[in-house]
Amino acid sequence: MDENAYDEWLSLWTDDALYWVPCNRDDSDPAREISAIYDDRARLQGRIDRLKSGMAFAQDPKSRMRRLISNIEIEEADNGDLIVSSNFMLVELRRSKQDVFAGRTIHRLRSDGDSFRISHKKVLLVNNDEVIDNLTFLI
Amino acid sequence: MTAQSIDYDTLVSDDRVHGRVYLDPDIFEDEIAKIFHRGWVYVGHTGEIPEPGDYRLRKIGRAPVIMVRDDRGEVRLLLNRCRHRAATVCQTAQGNAKVFRCAYHGWTYRNDGELSAVTYQDGYGWSFRKEEMGLTSVPRMGTYRGFVFGSLAADGISLDEHLGAAKGQIDLFIDLSPEGELDVRSGVNKYSYTGNWKLQIENAIDGYHPNLVHQSTFEVIRKRTKATMDAFNGNSIGETRDLGNGHVMLDFRRYNRAGARGPRVLPTISGRGPEYRDAMVRRYGAERAEELITAGGTHLLVFPNLILIGVQIRVVQPVSTDYTEVYLYPTLLKGVPSEMNVARLRGHDGFYGPAGGIAPDDIEMFARVQEGLHAEVDPWLLFSRGLHRERRDADGSIVGQMTDEVPQRGIWSHWKKVMMATTELPHHQADLRRVAAAD
Repeated sequence: MDENAYDEWLSLWTDDALYWVPCNRDDSDPAREISAIYDDRARLQGRIDRLKSGMAFAQDPKSRMRRLISNIEIEEADNGDLIVSSNFMLVELRRSKQDVFAGRTIHRLRSDGDSFRISHKKVLLVNNDEVIDNLTFLI
Repeated sequence: MTAQSIDYDTLVSDDRVHGRVYLDPDIFEDEIAKIFHRGWVYVGHTGEIPEPGDYRLRKIGRAPVIMVRDDRGEVRLLLNRCRHRAATVCQTAQGNAKVFRCAYHGWTYRNDGELSAVTYQDGYGWSFRKEEMGLTSVPRMGTYRGFVFGSLAADGISLDEHLGAAKGQIDLFIDLSPEGELDVRSGVNKYSYTGNWKLQIENAIDGYHPNLVHQSTFEVIRKRTKATMDAFNGNSIGETRDLGNGHVMLDFRRYNRAGARGPRVLPTISGRGPEYRDAMVRRYGAERAEELITAGGTHLLVFPNLILIGVQIRVVQPVSTDYTEVYLYPTLLKGVPSEMNVARLRGHDGFYGPAGGIAPDDIEMFARVQEGLHAEVDPWLLFSRGLHRERRDADGSIVGQMTDEVPQRGIWSHWKKVMMATTELPHHQADLRRVAAAD
């Protein structure tokens, strides 16, 4: 993600993908409330296609990023999926402006051969009820 | 240079604007005074505060305001400022409250603004009258179909006169609901940008940029739907329209009426079915229902800073010459199948949020404009596109082709009028001057 490796990142997802970044509050109801991101697989593909087009100006220039991940907790779901929760801190630089994003990410990982793929990812941003100018990089 | 010496007539002409209007702190202060602290400014929607005690914190210009429904059900705009020593009495962006209590010295106000308790009140002597010390109301409040506006000036034109022809467009936005009502409790996207507030209002009703700035997202749509996006082509039959009073719009009605050559421009009623159409016909009659569905909402700027696009109520908040905040409040339609409202929300998320495929690219352009403005050797910005071919419609509005800069010219000519106006001073200011002269 820090390298903006869009195709590689997309290949990590299952076909029933849900990529969800709530806004306003962590436990919003997507049927009645907006989100910052609420992508199924098709929308995720569209997001990546756009970012790769060279015409997504919000990523021209691209964000430069480094993130730290810690406080990892792993649970097993009923169907054998793994629910992995972790904290992240992300430093993002673009147009001479450096921002810090932080939050808790909840991944639902499905076993795929000798590896895993992401079926759900929910990102609980610390600042999801605040002004955010650009969230077009991979969060 | 003081506000009195700013020559607005030279800075703004029919076809061009001087870059100083985006850069000069004196002009910014003058805008706050004349546009935001005097004229009508949108505050919120009654659908955000349906229950007694429900409130939202908002701003009119720089003034912090509480929009609240009091215990008797009446919507009020109260200034968020304790009558004692000015501390804000309410801190959370939204909630429900019986009272607002100033934490500084404990003065407590009912949700209709009345002062109900003063700490150690006997210290103020016998002449202190609590009934005169309630929270100050915004001097004038007006509503149009649930849209609440406030004016910090005691006098001036009525809200009805201010809105004028924009009312018909607000109707198109609301009346996509077969009950004629909006639900405005779906949260808010808040974004900021490093640019002047007018860059956002000029852009919101600009039909010239979408094929360029938004081509990456249009390409994704094209791939998914196999349809061509030609609404913003140089030969589009869509229109731009100046409704007067600074209210301007992109008008897709003619384009949509001509038949779906591409995907509908306004994704506000996607997933509509016979059930929805029937409900619309029952409520509005066949002819009006068709008109409403064809329009698909509106794409409107209500001067100075209220924008209706897609499913959202958008508010532009000026902060400084080169920093602006923007709030997007998506709306749901009452009386439609829930799938239609979900489609409205997902259409909005995908396009307009800080991670969306449309708004972030616009914001990038604002940053580039604000940077470019500082090359002041040639300080002019050109707004002449379509000036030679605009015409006046029977209803008095000025019309141009979709990519023409009719809306921007409409904004700037009204802006100039407001900034140069000396006759619309609130009466109490004029009175003060007379008193001073008599002394």
